[in-house]
Amino acid sequence: MNQWLVAAVWVALALAAGLISVRTAISVSLLELVLGVIGGNFLHLQTTDWTSFLAGFGAILLTFMAGAEIDPDSLRKHLRPSLAIGFVSFLLPFLGAMAFARHVAGWDAHSSQIAGIALSTTSVAVVYAVLVETGLNRTDLGKLILAACFITDLGTVLALGILFANYDLWLLAFVLVTAGVLAILPRAGKWFFARYAGRVSELETKFLFLLLFALGGMAVKANSEAVLPAYLLGLAMAGLFLQHREMVRRLRTTVFALLTPFYFIKAGLLVSLPAVITGAALIGLLLGVKLVTKAVGVYPLAGAFRLPRREGIYTTLLMSTGLTFGTISALFGYQRGFISQSQYTILVTVVIGSAVIPTMVAQAFFRPAPAALTSVPENVPHLAEVQEHA
Amino acid sequence: MLDKILVADDGSAGARRAVEMAADLAARYQAQLHSVTVEEELPRYAATMDEVDAVQEQKARFFERVTAEAQQIAARYGVEIECHVISGHEVEAIIRFCTEGGFDLLVLGFMGHSRIFERVWGSTSQTLTRLAPCSVLVAK
Repeated sequence: MNQWLVAAVWVALALAAGLISVRTAISVSLLELVLGVIGGNFLHLQTTDWTSFLAGFGAILLTFMAGAEIDPDSLRKHLRPSLAIGFVSFLLPFLGAMAFARHVAGWDAHSSQIAGIALSTTSVAVVYAVLVETGLNRTDLGKLILAACFITDLGTVLALGILFANYDLWLLAFVLVTAGVLAILPRAGKWFFARYAGRVSELETKFLFLLLFALGGMAVKANSEAVLPAYLLGLAMAGLFLQHREMVRRLRTTVFALLTPFYFIKAGLLVSLPAVITGAALIGLLLGVKLVTKAVGVYPLAGAFRLPRREGIYTTLLMSTGLTFGTISALFGYQRGFISQSQYTILVTVVIGSAVIPTMVAQAFFRPAPAALTSVPENVPHLAEVQEHA
Repeated sequence: MLDKILVADDGSAGARRAVEMAADLAARYQAQLHSVTVEEELPRYAATMDEVDAVQEQKARFFERVTAEAQQIAARYGVEIECHVISGHEVEAIIRFCTEGGFDLLVLGFMGHSRIFERVWGSTSQTLTRLAPCSVLVAK
């Protein structure tokens, strides 16, 4: 088929998602995913090599930006409690979903691992939006919750990168080169940005893309996943990005206009609606497993940090959300042949459900008291108290 | 009689009329004039923090414009206006702000909806009129 017409259809879906997003205040990414489902099931839209490349590049940049969004000072400041909450928030759902998929649903070892990874995620963006709305993002508690979400995501990305890798010389080379790049990047990047940033030829963006492609390529050679170095590079460059907000804006334009629509539409169009219907019970059960295991891990810790019951449930529900990394993990599993299209469909539907349902329940029934919506609640614990309980 | 006047300003044409009327009243009664704009929810189910930040930046530009317009209108009437931006559901947030601020009058712009919409949902101005702790003036 004419590639320009194919591009027109994909961009039309992205445009429609954007327009609906403006009217409904629902995230454009989620709408692209949903329109991708419609495109795949009703318009029989298919992927091509170049749409897959753009989608893959979109996933890499999404992951990079997710890593770069962390506030390094905040992470350092709340290292112990955020490590505790974030790790538990990753580990319990990972083990729970993996065990459920293996022993109850009867999936094989690899597909169960993919299920565990895809359902272990927490959507930092969903949590962030709520923290901003409630003003908690400016408090120690809010920063701690965000830092914990990053740790959960790091767990997801590491699991994705390590579990399926070939333990050979390529992996060794990849680990050594990545470690070297990460060690020198904060300084080298600072020097490069100071010297070349802001030129019309966008040298700093090319520098970034070079690193992402080169390390991503090495990761794939080791049968690992290109999003792993992307997330680590993001973490290493987070401090630099705080000082170069203009570059972040330009990068955001590229990512949201061209790349992420292809990623989310592709993630959606691989979803098979008949498989959603036949797998409805399993979808519900896996969603339940995710919510319960997140609750078992996060709610007691929220209590330990002296959050009142309502706010504790609210935080737990928010940390049960997932979207981007959940779909990235499921897509990785599908593309590598670890899961079938039906299993992919089940996992992505659970991921979409986990983006929507916990948020809706949290907003409808456990939204903090109105006073907390416009100002910092008085009962937010001080950092010293938080660390004492960690 | 009127010491503190609050005008709800969502940047619409109706709200501009409300700001005019509130500024006029504030000048006549030598009352304090405040405006309140409600920042509604950020994108739900966002994929990246950047998506949230982008919407916030867009909103910040909108609030800057709304605030500047309100200040220009107030200046024409020779009064000062203190502008506030608060978060939350618009009815809940305005009522709370109005109650906590001890305002004597809440001025609103009328926003016309279809009959079906109003029958099903009721209008924001109707709900605010019903719930406000003080007198309410709806500018048409």
